[in-house]
Amino acid sequence: MSAPDSPKRQTANAPRKPQVGASTHKVSLKDQLNGWAQQHQLVAVETLMRLLTKPLGSIMTWLVIAISLTLPGAMWMTLDNLSQLSNRFQASGSMSVYLKPAVQDTQAQQLLSCIESMDGVADVRFISADDALAEFRASSGLGEALDLLPENPLPGVIVVEPELALPQQDVIALADSLRSEPRVDSVELDTAWLDRLHALLALSERIVWVMGALLALGILLVVGNTIRLSIAARVDEIRVTKLVGATNAWVRRPFLYTGLWFGMVGGLVSWILLAIGWALVSGPVEDLAALYGSEYRLLPLSAGAALVLLLGAMLLGWLGAWWSVVRHLHRIEP
Amino acid sequence: MPMVRFDGVSKSYPGGKEALSKVSFELARGEFAFLTGHSGAGKSTLLKLMLQMERPSKGQVFVDGDCVNTMKSSLVPLLRRKVGVVFQNHQLLFDRSVYDNVAMPLLIAGYQPAEAARRVRAALDSVGLLGFERRNPIELSGGEQQRVGIARAVVNKPQLLLADEPTGNLDPELSEEIMKLFLRFQQVGVTVLIATHDIPLIERMGHRRLILDHGSLHDSGGQRAGFERGDHVRT
Ligand SMILES: Nc1ncnc2c1ncn2[C@@H]1O[C@H](COP(=O)(O)OP(=O)(O)OP(=O)(O)O)[C@@H](O)[C@H]1O
Ligand SMILES: [Mg+2]
Repeated sequence: MSAPDSPKRQTANAPRKPQVGASTHKVSLKDQLNGWAQQHQLVAVETLMRLLTKPLGSIMTWLVIAISLTLPGAMWMTLDNLSQLSNRFQASGSMSVYLKPAVQDTQAQQLLSCIESMDGVADVRFISADDALAEFRASSGLGEALDLLPENPLPGVIVVEPELALPQQDVIALADSLRSEPRVDSVELDTAWLDRLHALLALSERIVWVMGALLALGILLVVGNTIRLSIAARVDEIRVTKLVGATNAWVRRPFLYTGLWFGMVGGLVSWILLAIGWALVSGPVEDLAALYGSEYRLLPLSAGAALVLLLGAMLLGWLGAWWSVVRHLHRIEP
Repeated sequence: MPMVRFDGVSKSYPGGKEALSKVSFELARGEFAFLTGHSGAGKSTLLKLMLQMERPSKGQVFVDGDCVNTMKSSLVPLLRRKVGVVFQNHQLLFDRSVYDNVAMPLLIAGYQPAEAARRVRAALDSVGLLGFERRNPIELSGGEQQRVGIARAVVNKPQLLLADEPTGNLDPELSEEIMKLFLRFQQVGVTVLIATHDIPLIERMGHRRLILDHGSLHDSGGQRAGFERGDHVRT
């Protein structure tokens, strides 16, 4: 054995520092910051490697996180698609323009060609008062009763089909401008069912949020529990590190990173699950749309939503770990 | 300013009798002292008070001028970084190499890897274990493990070195060698306090003795002989 001050050690590195006294070998601030960043990097890589090289212990946690994320993710994707579809319906909402009783058919034809030339109008069709009555007579079976009427009670109608791509506010503006025509009695937009659809979509969105919140809570619990187990498995290590001067932050760090990685891996797995689900469903949806003469394609999860999913998962993992660490770590003292 | 000062320190564990009663003493900087006493006399307790592993029920404990028992918990890690400890159950981690065990205090203190590596080698060299870096401590003998524990205690160049039964379970020859090792640290200015049962060894080495007897302290003040285990000397 050689003395602590043996010459052997002096050969190791140039200027020798004094042997004793914390004050004489204090680490400089810059070194401390570097060391701190290095520590983070080291811990981040180490904990990630531990998860990836020994996945068996934590694979359940990943899957639970992934599934918890996939459910709201899939619902979100569905809603996204439905609201996309409903936008198309909005644009195709036709309107019925009722003419004043005094308007003659020739005047109506003039108005018709005038409307046809307006922006955003795809198609117009005139149903004269007589035609309307004839149609009504045929469909209602009230033939003779109708003959008793002194004159035709039905007004002439112009059915206007706006262009498919026309946004809803433009459709409404079109209806308003038609309403201001002197020969027009009233304009009816066929939107009641659309309103209902929108209300339904809003409700579903709310349900997705509530479900998402519950599943997020589930993720917190699962990560928290997994971290609790890994704290229990490393009690000796924690005691020793605290004994040789580890701060609470230092002890916490690997567990927080582990939580973060749990979230990340879970988020990535849920991306994969969502992609598989999309691939499975999008073919049939396109076939179905084709049957209706539409070229509708199922939209995948948007990039923004996917990012929110991943970052949210990482945040949840980190929070779950934090929660567990706060509850269990302070009890472990040397 | 002494390195260590105990000021009327009493410690009773919850539900237990008094483990230490009105203990007062000082250790000057660079001093070397033994702490002896029968089993259950309170030796480990006294050492633990200096690291805030336990807190006194009465009195005050100062280390390097700072009052340990009222110290904020955020400052305790800094205290522990300037005190090296060796425990009887050397508290090594068997899931990592000797190198990683010894380097732990340096990583915690934020040393650069190159500087840490240099210091770990120096510490292992000083306990005669150069070349053992990659071994797992579980493969080592009791004495070698003990020395790894000492290397870890000194790697951060502590100002104060505490050892609790560092030679328990070691043969006399190795015990003496380890004591000499502690002496060498004292020679470079470290304050050393060693709790031990090994009376014959202490007798041979001389030095100041703090003797605990059922929680009360008797200070030999210097090299006094004649205290055997169970000798209850009262002033
Ligand atoms: N955590 C504890 N809780 C309750 N009593 C304790 C605790 N630790 C120690 N004691 C008691 O305090 C007294 C002193 O214990 P301590 O461990 O300090 O003795 P010691 O001198 O180190 O003994 P040994 O030589 O056997 O290691 C003993 O009576 C012991 O039973
Ligand atoms: Mg003891």
